[in-house]
Amino acid sequence: MKRCVILTTILLTTIFASFVFSLSSPQRIISLGPYITEEIYLLDAQDKLVGCTVYCRRPPDAEKKEKVGTVIQINTEKILTLKPDLVIATALTQKKDIEKLKKIGIKVIEFPSPKNFNEICNQFLELGKILDRYDLAENIVQKAKAKVLEIKRKTKNLAKVKVFVEVGSNPLFTITGDSFVNDFIEFSGGINIAKDAKTGIYSREAVLKENPDVIIIATMGILADKEKEIWKKYENLNAVKNNRIYIIDAYKLCSPTPVSFVETLEELVNILHFNYER
Amino acid sequence: MKDKLVNWAIWIGILVIFLLIIIIFSLSVGPTDIPFKKFISLIFKGKGSVEYSVLFDIRIPRILLGFAIGGALSLAGVILQGLFRNPLVEPYTLGISGGAVLGVCLNIVFQLDKNLGIISLPFSGFLGAILIILLVYSLSIKRGILKINELLLIGVMLSFILSSLNMLIMAVSHIQDLQGVIFWIMGSLAEPNWFLIKLMFFVSILGLLFSYLFCHALNALSLGEEEALHLGINVEITKRLLFILASLLTGFSVSIAGIIGFVGLAVPHFMRNLIGNDYRILLISSFLSGAGFLILCDTLARTIILPLELPVGVITGILGGSIFIYIISKKQIKL
Amino acid sequence: MKEIILKIKNLSCGYDSQIILSDINLTVERGKLLGIIGPNGAGKTTLLRAITGIIRPKQGNIFFEDKDIYQIGLKELAKKIAVVPQSIIVNSITVEEFVLLGRIPHYKRFQFLETKKDQEIAKKALELTDTLKLKDRSILEISSGERQLVLIAKALAQEPKLLLLDEPTAHLDIGHQIKIMQLIKKLNETENLTVLVVLHDLNLASQYCEELVLLNEGKLIRQGSVNEVLNYRDIEMVYKTTVLIKENPLNKRPFVILFPPKEWDEQK
Repeated sequence: MKRCVILTTILLTTIFASFVFSLSSPQRIISLGPYITEEIYLLDAQDKLVGCTVYCRRPPDAEKKEKVGTVIQINTEKILTLKPDLVIATALTQKKDIEKLKKIGIKVIEFPSPKNFNEICNQFLELGKILDRYDLAENIVQKAKAKVLEIKRKTKNLAKVKVFVEVGSNPLFTITGDSFVNDFIEFSGGINIAKDAKTGIYSREAVLKENPDVIIIATMGILADKEKEIWKKYENLNAVKNNRIYIIDAYKLCSPTPVSFVETLEELVNILHFNYER
Repeated sequence: MKDKLVNWAIWIGILVIFLLIIIIFSLSVGPTDIPFKKFISLIFKGKGSVEYSVLFDIRIPRILLGFAIGGALSLAGVILQGLFRNPLVEPYTLGISGGAVLGVCLNIVFQLDKNLGIISLPFSGFLGAILIILLVYSLSIKRGILKINELLLIGVMLSFILSSLNMLIMAVSHIQDLQGVIFWIMGSLAEPNWFLIKLMFFVSILGLLFSYLFCHALNALSLGEEEALHLGINVEITKRLLFILASLLTGFSVSIAGIIGFVGLAVPHFMRNLIGNDYRILLISSFLSGAGFLILCDTLARTIILPLELPVGVITGILGGSIFIYIISKKQIKL
Repeated sequence: MKEIILKIKNLSCGYDSQIILSDINLTVERGKLLGIIGPNGAGKTTLLRAITGIIRPKQGNIFFEDKDIYQIGLKELAKKIAVVPQSIIVNSITVEEFVLLGRIPHYKRFQFLETKKDQEIAKKALELTDTLKLKDRSILEISSGERQLVLIAKALAQEPKLLLLDEPTAHLDIGHQIKIMQLIKKLNETENLTVLVVLHDLNLASQYCEELVLLNEGKLIRQGSVNEVLNYRDIEMVYKTTVLIKENPLNKRPFVILFPPKEWDEQK
């Protein structure tokens, strides 16, 4: 009889505790960034997602969720009417809007732009904690880290390839050392010629001077094909001579979830080392 | 003259009604439409509900700010047009907005807002605006006379210089900073800080009252500076005070809400066309119609492509520009 | 001895570093109709500007009713001296509203609307200038002759003691020229208004003015009666052209006839 009581108490307490615990974790979440939306789906928490941006298109199911604006301009009123208990903002969300939401009494967490792969993973784990999916998050992160290590091993002894990544054309814009995209290049055995640049605005002359072996153009609002044609005119560039100008979907390159990071990394390894005609 | 007073009273009445209709319209539309009948019950019993919050936390602040800034910019515009006797002058012509943008650029680039809190952004915008105002002012005073034509030229040139300077700063800044600046520039009435909203409201009302001390002076000035002097107006003091008033109204507006163009240009012209050139009625008419116009534009900006919001400057530009062109072409037909 | 309303002593003034008028001495008796004549650039308009306080003298003083005009405030001065400019650039406004602007110097501190008295004085000004019928028309739509009359009406609305006119007949046909001069004469006689009028037409000046002042190159050449001032020596020297001065048979006033030099030679 006593055992029964104790067992029942423990059972009830556990049920109660997990109930309370899950209550304290947010149940109505709004994501203000495509990669955060993607991560929420990865963590199997999409039922808690009640709203996201019009640019949140991966996975396709996300397009069915309520829209609250763009990544940069959000509709605070729409957010209010969706009654979220948590809004996850990115570095691109305007400070003013974040202030406004906080003033109305809505909880807002800001996820800054990850500067490297480690930060991507840490953010993912943090998200896992918030969504009460920590175990799953840890799992995914461990797998991703393992794969990355493997790739690093594979490429360690390969000849380093000089790379220029173009993410904007007017003015010419590249990725410097303080972005995780830099990790893509370094982990895949490449050298980012703009790693130490002070700002992302780069001159074509500087590219010519560095003479990269590969040019990667991200289709982020620029006409990548047109840019490729422009580069082709500089016939002395190694990248042009060996016909190594590649176009990559910007979404893959610039949306940092641990899973997409690995996918894109593998693609980059192919591009840099295995997928070209000598 | 009783007729004149009655005429004016009717105009003000019409404008106030127009304003009220726009306010009610603005209060009721959005991602959730709140019908007018619900307002009363919401005010008294609705506290805590989502709709109450929508009204009081989101729409009312925007409407209040739209009233204050729309009024201030139109008032500044009509005063400057009278001061310069030039129909193309608007509050931004004088470089004040360029100065505000410069202040905000420098703030964002040097990351001052991290240390001084979010109010530092409008504050630095305001400082930048004041600096330019003082610069333009001091450069235009020769031998104790404020030369109006030089003021205009210097202001226009300064605004070009500032625009290039600002582009320079943006070109060498980090992308996160860049975004911050660009969106600040685009103009928005979604200010979260109640203090700033109340401040702007008082500034605009005080500005309106203060401008009435100069209604006769402005009427006299429309005949030219020399003629105004012949009518006993102290033209030097009038020019200076009016310039400072218009600049302050503009400076506050730009620092708090960014650049919202055309309100200061199109609305005064429209009012002149309807009501005539007597400043006694023009000052308040410009204020009220500017307020209504901006609130209307903001309402359209936030409802036309739901859930996305257009920058309010886009609507004021298109609507304001069209009104302006319409008035000009109407005038030509008269000729 | 008649009362002196305006006294100019040793006046030298100009713009920036340029001196336009040098050492002008002029006294005007109350109730006089004084014409100011002289070639272009003589300083006539500058003289008017100096009297109204728009240009500060570099040297000398100007006294209105024995008070230095710089001691009298701008607003007070506007109640005593009114100026009719040659022309005006203005936005669309009705004639009545335009004339009412002349009441501004008389507005009390926080007065917003014109009083009944203001309206009456404006009406009287319109009547005196025979422009009452135009009161609801836009000032931009009336003829230039009518506009000149309206400008005078506005000046009259200021209830001045001294009226200054700067070439009021400049762009008008002879009919309107006479109309304006008749009006000025009437105002001078019936309203006891002291009038200083700058005229380019010597014969108009001769016909209507009591006294003339001849200016040349910033100096006052002669002040006196019409007969005294309109003499060959001064006129030919100042205007650098030959003239023939005869007497107008109707009123014995001098009449200046232009004389193209070639014809004179041919006559010889």
